[in-house]
Amino acid sequence: MTTLTPELKSGANPRKRTGSLVWHVFAIAVLCVVLYPVVWVIGAAFKPGKKIVGSLDLFPADPILDNVKGLADGIAGISISTFFTNSLFYAGMAVVGVVISSSLTAYAFAKIPFRGRKLLFALMIGTLLLPYHVLLIPQYVMFQKLELINTYVPLLAGKFLATEAFFVFLMVQFMRGLPRELDEAARLDGCGHLRIYWSIVLPLCRPALITSAIFTFINAWNDFMGPLIYLNEPSKYTVSLGLMMFRDQQGISDYGGQIAMAMMALIPVIAFFMAFQRYLIDGMATSGLK
Amino acid sequence: MLKVAGASVAALGLTAAGCGGDGGSGDAGNADGPATLRFAWWGGEPRAVKIKKAIALFEKKNPKIKIKPEFTDYQAFWEKFQTQASGGNPPDVFLNSVAFLAKYDKRGVLLDLKSQVDAGNLSLKNFRGGVETAGQVSGGKQVAVPVGANTMSLVIDKKAWDKAGVEPKFGWTWDEYFTSLQTIQDKLKIAGDTGYAGVMYLYDLYLRQNGKAFFKDGKLGFAQDDLTQWWSDYYKRVKSGIVADPKKIEQVKPKSGLSAGLAGAEFTWDNFSVRYEGEGDSDYALAPIPTTDGKDTGQYLGSLMLSISTKCEAQAQAAKFIDFMVHDPEVGKVMGYDMGVLATDDQFEAYKPGAETDKAVAEANKGIAAYESDVEKAGVLGKITPHPSGADVVEAAFLRIAGDVANAKQKVPAAVKQFFSEAEAAFQA
Amino acid sequence: MSLVKDATVLAEEVNVVRPVAQKRRGRRDNLAGYLFMSPWLAGFLLLTAGPMIASLYYAFTDYNLFAAPKWIGFDNFTAMFDDPRWQKSVQVTLKYVVIGTPLKLLLALGVALLLNQSRRGQGLYRAAFYAPSLIGASVSVGFVWRALFSDNAVVDKGLGSLGLNLGGWIGDPDMILYSLVALTVWQFGAPMVIFLAGLKQVPRELYEAAAVDGAGPLRRFWNITLPMISPVLFFNVLLESIHSFQIFGSAYVVSNTFCGPADATLVYTCYLYQKGFQQSQMGFASAMAWMLLLAVALVTVVLFWSQKKWVHYEEDVK
Repeated sequence: MTTLTPELKSGANPRKRTGSLVWHVFAIAVLCVVLYPVVWVIGAAFKPGKKIVGSLDLFPADPILDNVKGLADGIAGISISTFFTNSLFYAGMAVVGVVISSSLTAYAFAKIPFRGRKLLFALMIGTLLLPYHVLLIPQYVMFQKLELINTYVPLLAGKFLATEAFFVFLMVQFMRGLPRELDEAARLDGCGHLRIYWSIVLPLCRPALITSAIFTFINAWNDFMGPLIYLNEPSKYTVSLGLMMFRDQQGISDYGGQIAMAMMALIPVIAFFMAFQRYLIDGMATSGLK
Repeated sequence: MLKVAGASVAALGLTAAGCGGDGGSGDAGNADGPATLRFAWWGGEPRAVKIKKAIALFEKKNPKIKIKPEFTDYQAFWEKFQTQASGGNPPDVFLNSVAFLAKYDKRGVLLDLKSQVDAGNLSLKNFRGGVETAGQVSGGKQVAVPVGANTMSLVIDKKAWDKAGVEPKFGWTWDEYFTSLQTIQDKLKIAGDTGYAGVMYLYDLYLRQNGKAFFKDGKLGFAQDDLTQWWSDYYKRVKSGIVADPKKIEQVKPKSGLSAGLAGAEFTWDNFSVRYEGEGDSDYALAPIPTTDGKDTGQYLGSLMLSISTKCEAQAQAAKFIDFMVHDPEVGKVMGYDMGVLATDDQFEAYKPGAETDKAVAEANKGIAAYESDVEKAGVLGKITPHPSGADVVEAAFLRIAGDVANAKQKVPAAVKQFFSEAEAAFQA
Repeated sequence: MSLVKDATVLAEEVNVVRPVAQKRRGRRDNLAGYLFMSPWLAGFLLLTAGPMIASLYYAFTDYNLFAAPKWIGFDNFTAMFDDPRWQKSVQVTLKYVVIGTPLKLLLALGVALLLNQSRRGQGLYRAAFYAPSLIGASVSVGFVWRALFSDNAVVDKGLGSLGLNLGGWIGDPDMILYSLVALTVWQFGAPMVIFLAGLKQVPRELYEAAAVDGAGPLRRFWNITLPMISPVLFFNVLLESIHSFQIFGSAYVVSNTFCGPADATLVYTCYLYQKGFQQSQMGFASAMAWMLLLAVALVTVVLFWSQKKWVHYEEDVK
C-alpha cells in the first residue's frame, strides 16, 4: 500500500527526527504571522465596543462577555438561530447543487468527445470574465417576473444549474488529469458514461469535489449581495444580513455585538472545513490508485 | 425539486397578498380596507426594535392592515432599493431622505401625496418650523412626509474646549471659530476641527449666510470662485494643523475623529451627535454654527421622511400608516429621537427626552432637544432649497474631492473643475 | 480564438485514439454530452446568456434603469477613456493584479508544499493556514486590517524595527493599496487547497525513481512536481488573475465602503459599482463591464495559448 506523500514516513532515524522538528518550528513560525489577524478578531469579541475600532492590542485588557451574551437576545427581535438556520440551509443546498451540477457538466467537457464541445467550453470560460454586478439587475427582473423574489430560489438556481464556471473548470482540470487508461478500459468493457462518471471518475476526483464543496459553502455563507437583493422578510435573513444590523450610520453602532456575531459565524465554516479536509488526503488513498 | 416548487408557491402567495391584493382594487381607495404593506427602512437594531413596536400599535388599531418590515444598513438599503425599484418591485412605504427625493421623483417612483392629503388620509398640519416643505420637490409637489426634523450643528469636545479656555456662543463668526481652533491647537496639541470642507450641508449654510445656496433651480447655486476660496482656505488650515490631518481621520474610521480625540470639533446633523457619547470617552456638546454677519446661521430643518411608491396598490392604507407614524403621540413616545427630533408638534410634545435607559443617549437627546429649541428661538431657521436629481451623487463627489484637496492629491483649481463637471453629469443622469 | 483551438486540440486527441469504425459511439457521445451538461446549458441560457446580451446592449445606450435605454453608439466608451476616475481605476487595478497575484500564488504553493508532507497534526495545520480565507471579506476584516496597518500598530512597529518607517497605511492614499494587496495575499487558502489537491495526484513512484537516480529535492520539484501539477498551476494562475481583476469585496470593506481615500483603492469593479448602483448610469457601467471582459479575455487567451508550452495533461504524457 502506498502512502500519500512523496516523503518517506519519518521513522526512528535521528536525522529524520531533526527534520521533523525543523519542519514544525518553521510551520509554526509562518502560522504565527498568518494567524495574528484571526486571533485579533477573536480577541476583539471580548473587548468593549468602544475599544474595538483602532484597538492596537491583540488581546483585551479586561475581557468581557457582554458582546457574546448580548447575542442571546437576538437582533431586532429575530433570534440568532434563525439567521444561522437560514445560512446553513442556503450554504448546504448550495453545496449539493454545485457538486452535482458542476461534476456532471465537467464530466461532459473532460471525458465525452461530443460535437460543439469546444465552443461551449469557450463560452463557459467566457462567463467567468463578466463581473456579476451587471448581471444582477437583469436577473432580478427575471426572477421578479417569475414571482420568486423573497424565496431562496434565485439564490440557489445558479448553483443547481452549474452557472459558477469556477467549479466546472476546476473539475474539468482534475478530470483531465486522471489517467485515461481507466475510463478507456471501462468503455471497452461496455460501461456507459453514467457508470464511468459514477464509479470511476467521481471517486477519483474526490479532492476536487471536496474542494468545490468547501469553497461553495464558504462563499454562500459569506454571500451578502444575493440575500440582500432577493430576501425581503427579516425571518428569512442570513447571517451576513444579520451582521449589518449592528451598524448604524447615524447612531451608535454596536461593534462589539458585530464582532461577536462575526466570530460565531466563523464556527460553522471552520467546522465544515475541519470535517471535510480529511477527505482531501483520503481521496486518493481509498481509491486504491497508485 | 419538490422543495423548490413549494418555495415558489409560497412566494406566489406572498406577492399576491402584496399591497392591497386581498381586498381587490375596490378597496384601494378605502383607508380601512384590508391590505398588506411592505415597509422598508435603513438603520441599526435599536431602530428596528422601535419601529416594530410602532407597527404593532398600528396593526392593533387597524387589524385589517398588515405591515411587513424590511430593513438593512443605509448603504445596502439604497442598493437594494434601486434594484427593486428599477425592477418595478419597490416597497410600498419606505424611509427617504432629501438627497434622493428628486432622483426618484424624476424616475416616477414616488407617489404624489396630494390626493391622499385631500382625501383626508394624511395630514400635513402641525409640523414644526414648516419642515413639511422638506418633503417637496421643486414645483411644490409633496412626495414625502418628514418623521424627524434636524438641523446642522457643531459638536464639540467639551473637556477640550474647557481646557483650552475657549467657548462657543450664538452669533459668533467664522474668524472667531478658527481663532478658537488655533487656541485649542496651541494649548492641547490636537487639531481643532476634523475636516469641515467636504460636508455639503455645512457649505450650504455658509453659502446661505452669503445669499446663495448649494442647490438653486436644479443646479449648483454657487460659482467656481466661491468653491476655490472655500477649499483653498481649507487646504491652508489642514497644512497649518488647525484642521486635522485627513490621514489620521481616515485611519480611525468608522469612529469619528472627534470621539477618537484627534480634534476638538466636528460639524454634523444634531441628531447624529448621539454617536459620540457611545464612541468616545469625553463629554460632547452641541454648539452654534458660526456666522458671517454675526447673526444668520443659515440653518433650516432637514429630515428623514416617509414616501409611498407609485406601484403601491393600497395607497389609502399606506397614507394612513404614514399619518399614524408621524402624528400619533404613542408612536412618538416609542420612537423618541431615533429618526431625528420628532417632526410634528403632536409627537414632539408627547415625548420627553431623558428617560432612556442608556444614560449617554438620554443626555444626548436632552441636548438635541434643547439645541433645536434654542435655534428656533434665535429665529434663524429658514427653508431648505429643494435638492435636484443627483444630489446624492453630488454630495459624495463633494466629500471625496475635498479629501483629494486635503491629501494634496489635487490642486484646488483642478479639484473645483472636476467637482463642477461631475456635478453636471450627476444632474443629467 | 485560442480558447476554441485549445478545445479542438483536446477533442482531436481523443478522436485520434478512437477506433475509426465506431461512428455509432460518436452519436451516442453527442447525446450523452448534451445530457450531462444540460444543467449548465439550462443555467447558461436562462441566467447568464440573457443578462449578458442585455448588458452588451446597455453598453451602447444611455440607461438610468428607469427610462428606456437610449442608443448612443460608442459614447460610453469614449466618455470612459476621457474620464480621469476611470483611468485611475485601471491603474489601481493593474497595480493590484500585477503585485498581488504572483505573491499570493507563491505563498499558496509554498505552504502547500510545506503541508504536503506527512507530519503530525497535518489536518490542524491545514485548517489553520486556511483560517484567514474563511473570514472572507467580512466586516471584521475591515476592523482588523485597520488595527494592523494604522500608525504605531503591529506592521508599522515591525517595519520600524527594520528601519522602515512608513507610518500607517490605512489613511495614506499612497500606501492603502498595499494593505489591500496584503489582504489578498493573506487569504491564500483557496489556491493552497487546490495546489494541495493537485500535489496529492502526483504518483509517488515518480519520486522514488528520481531518488534512485540521485536527484535532489530541487531537481525533483522542477522535473516532477512542477510538470505534474501544471494543470492545477494553470488553473490557479488563470483563476486568480481573473479574480484579481474583479476584486471588489475587500476593497469595499478595507476602505470603509467608498474606495478612498483620494480614490486610492478605487479598483475597477468598485468604480463600476459606483456608476451603476450609486449614480444609476447603467449604460456606462455595462460598457465598463465589457471593457473588463475584453481585457480579461485577452489575458485568458494568452494564458491558454501559453499552456501548450508548459502545461502537461495526462492525455499528452501517456
